[in-house]
Amino acid sequence: MRKLSKLLLTLVFALSISSTSYAVTVASWGGAYTESQKLGYGDPAAKKLGISINWVDYSGGLSEVKAQKAAGKITWDIMDVFAMDTINGCDEGLFVKFDFDKDFPAAPDGTKASKDFFTSMPSKCAVGNILYSWTYAYNDAKIGSKKPKTIKDFFDTKNFPGKRGIYKSAMHNIEMAVAASGTRPGKGGKNIYKKLSKAKGLDAAIKKVEALCKDPNGGCVFWSAGAKPPELLMQGEVVMATGWNGRFFNAEVGENAPLKQVWDAQGLDYQYMVVVKGGPNEANAMKAIAEMTSAEGLAGSAKYIAYAPWRKSSLKIIEKGEPWYKDGKTNMMEQMPTHPNNTQNYFLLDPLFWADNGTEIGEKWEAMKSGL
Amino acid sequence: MSSETQKILTTDGIPLEVSLKKVERRNKFKAFLLVAPLLLFLLIVYISPIIGMLFNSVDDRMVTNALPKTFIAMEKWDGKDLPSEEVFEAFYIDFQKLIEEERDGKLSTQLNYEKNGFKSIIKKLRRKSKSFEEGNYKEQIMAVHERWANVEYWRAIKRRAPAYSYSKYLKGVDMYQNESGRFVQVEEDRRIYKKLWVRTLKIAFYVTLFCFLMAYPIAHLLATLPLKYSNLLMICVLLPFWTSLLVRTASWMILLQQQGVINDFLVWIGLVADDKRLVMMYNETGTYIAMTQILLPFMVLPLYSVMKTISPSLVRAGKSLGGTPFITFWKVYFPLTIPGIGAGSLLVFILAIGYYITPELVGGASGTLISNQIAYHMKYTLDWSFASAMGLMLLTGVLAVYWVYNKLVGIDNIKLG
Repeated sequence: MRKLSKLLLTLVFALSISSTSYAVTVASWGGAYTESQKLGYGDPAAKKLGISINWVDYSGGLSEVKAQKAAGKITWDIMDVFAMDTINGCDEGLFVKFDFDKDFPAAPDGTKASKDFFTSMPSKCAVGNILYSWTYAYNDAKIGSKKPKTIKDFFDTKNFPGKRGIYKSAMHNIEMAVAASGTRPGKGGKNIYKKLSKAKGLDAAIKKVEALCKDPNGGCVFWSAGAKPPELLMQGEVVMATGWNGRFFNAEVGENAPLKQVWDAQGLDYQYMVVVKGGPNEANAMKAIAEMTSAEGLAGSAKYIAYAPWRKSSLKIIEKGEPWYKDGKTNMMEQMPTHPNNTQNYFLLDPLFWADNGTEIGEKWEAMKSGL
Repeated sequence: MSSETQKILTTDGIPLEVSLKKVERRNKFKAFLLVAPLLLFLLIVYISPIIGMLFNSVDDRMVTNALPKTFIAMEKWDGKDLPSEEVFEAFYIDFQKLIEEERDGKLSTQLNYEKNGFKSIIKKLRRKSKSFEEGNYKEQIMAVHERWANVEYWRAIKRRAPAYSYSKYLKGVDMYQNESGRFVQVEEDRRIYKKLWVRTLKIAFYVTLFCFLMAYPIAHLLATLPLKYSNLLMICVLLPFWTSLLVRTASWMILLQQQGVINDFLVWIGLVADDKRLVMMYNETGTYIAMTQILLPFMVLPLYSVMKTISPSLVRAGKSLGGTPFITFWKVYFPLTIPGIGAGSLLVFILAIGYYITPELVGGASGTLISNQIAYHMKYTLDWSFASAMGLMLLTGVLAVYWVYNKLVGIDNIKLG
């Protein structure tokens, strides 16, 4: 009897070790977004590969993984990161460098992975995941009869009095300020970054946000988590808020909230996945990331959230399968930030600009905020 | 006297004095053994991280070791015009070695802290330097990007030459050391830390004051009411104390927001117009309200424990000797509570000065404190040495408060119970 229980104990122990050590841990941004990743490609990939994939939330930035590395115990295998962080993390040697066409599967029609993705990657450690967008939204039930339509309306406190919800860091805010002061973004937003790389243009952009925040009819509430802007709007704490289009879509279509998005001067940005070097399970992480970013995988996540997949072949899968949204009646293509209706006026966020100038702009931005 | 007395011996012939000392030494050793675990614990989890932080904040060997030849060549450079070909060549050789070891990315991160714009030009240099020809490196490097021909960038490299530097501490008070070695303030639109230090001290001071004003009557009631009521009151004080900090902060958010409970009530009774709801959150007010409530028990408990020991007969005696209620309170009761006030104020002030999560959630832009900036540099800019420097400055501030308190009131007068 005693022997048997001992044996059982050992077995349980061995099982628990093996099941945890073969699991792949992915750090992502939580909320509706992680949900879409988990259901869209996480679970299918896990099933196909026979490994379990765990999802943990974090709020962006590299500090946590740097701390894990410094402590000698890395617990994350894959991270979902901003473009700027793939550059910085790759520079610091935190992430695995990919051999792109070898590590990632080709499209169903045989196109090489590097050709199937829209553009090249900002660093050797990155693989594209989704295209999302910074837009702004308002609460239709509370805004009144006049509705905001353009990016200028976001700064117009005369016609639309009330507080605004904006991202806590300078990113996207200063680009939006430049676009709202009348600069046409130009191809991919290059006019905006031309303005911002001059001290005068940068100061003017920060001043414009400052003026909005100091305006007695305006005022700013700063958000950091992606779930916050829809929440602020629904509570009536702000009249308009910038945010990520998928989160607004989720509130609007998924939860039937009276939110409306404004696509004018939307800031398109790419989101990436990376494999952490020396993570608990690097080999399985490589398999999982390849499976998740396959054509079917990326198309799968678009079933749950309005973020556009990176691969051209994924878009084809969605088009064929419309209505693609999980409720079975919403067409996804027109909800995508890349749809022609939504890209009348847009800019692309420039990761190299932010990698280069982020610190200095951050200083000025924080100084402005501390004076509010 | 002592010369007349004979030496007293114990039964085994050893002088009593020696024997006593021996016992005393053994007792001391035993006592030390008892506290040794705590001492060791403090050493490992408290002292050594602080030393590590101190080291981190001044350590700049990474850059020094990355460009050894460059810094030797730079010794002769006066920093006025662009450096000579010699420096450029040394830099090129150092840089090639870094590329081989894949350390160029780390260098670019560090240099980017010193001066913005290094990231992209180092990346560009890495790409272009593969096709460099031998000789005339100055021309070739300068052709890569216009910033390489800008003397400011070379000065920035030179500033990072020393293996240890205190520049992060200067940055913590909005200063830097310029080329001629003078301490100067940074440009006006980038000054932030001094403002935040002042704000942190101000908020900590007022929170302490509010806590004191509210806690004193509560503590007095607690100490004087009959047991039946005082127990109930004690539970009211302790219950929030046992509740998680995050839960309490979140509840304040529900109460204080513009569509929140308090505003709804004020609108309902007609004190505030619906379109002019009070702004009590995402600003300094929110920080004051939430922090005062959260830190209140730290003031109540020391005050209570001191008041409990004050005999009621003292006040009665004061009254029977002809003092008015106010005079007896002021001359008899209040001075006796000072040790409690000292303990409570010191506790609250020190806790408030390093508060992070509550200002982060309800403080908005105008209610954030220095610790939020430390977190910002830990999390987003990843400039950990700067964050360490600011953390140590904060610690020094706390120690300074402690020192001043000790000088003014005396630390022996503190009473926690």
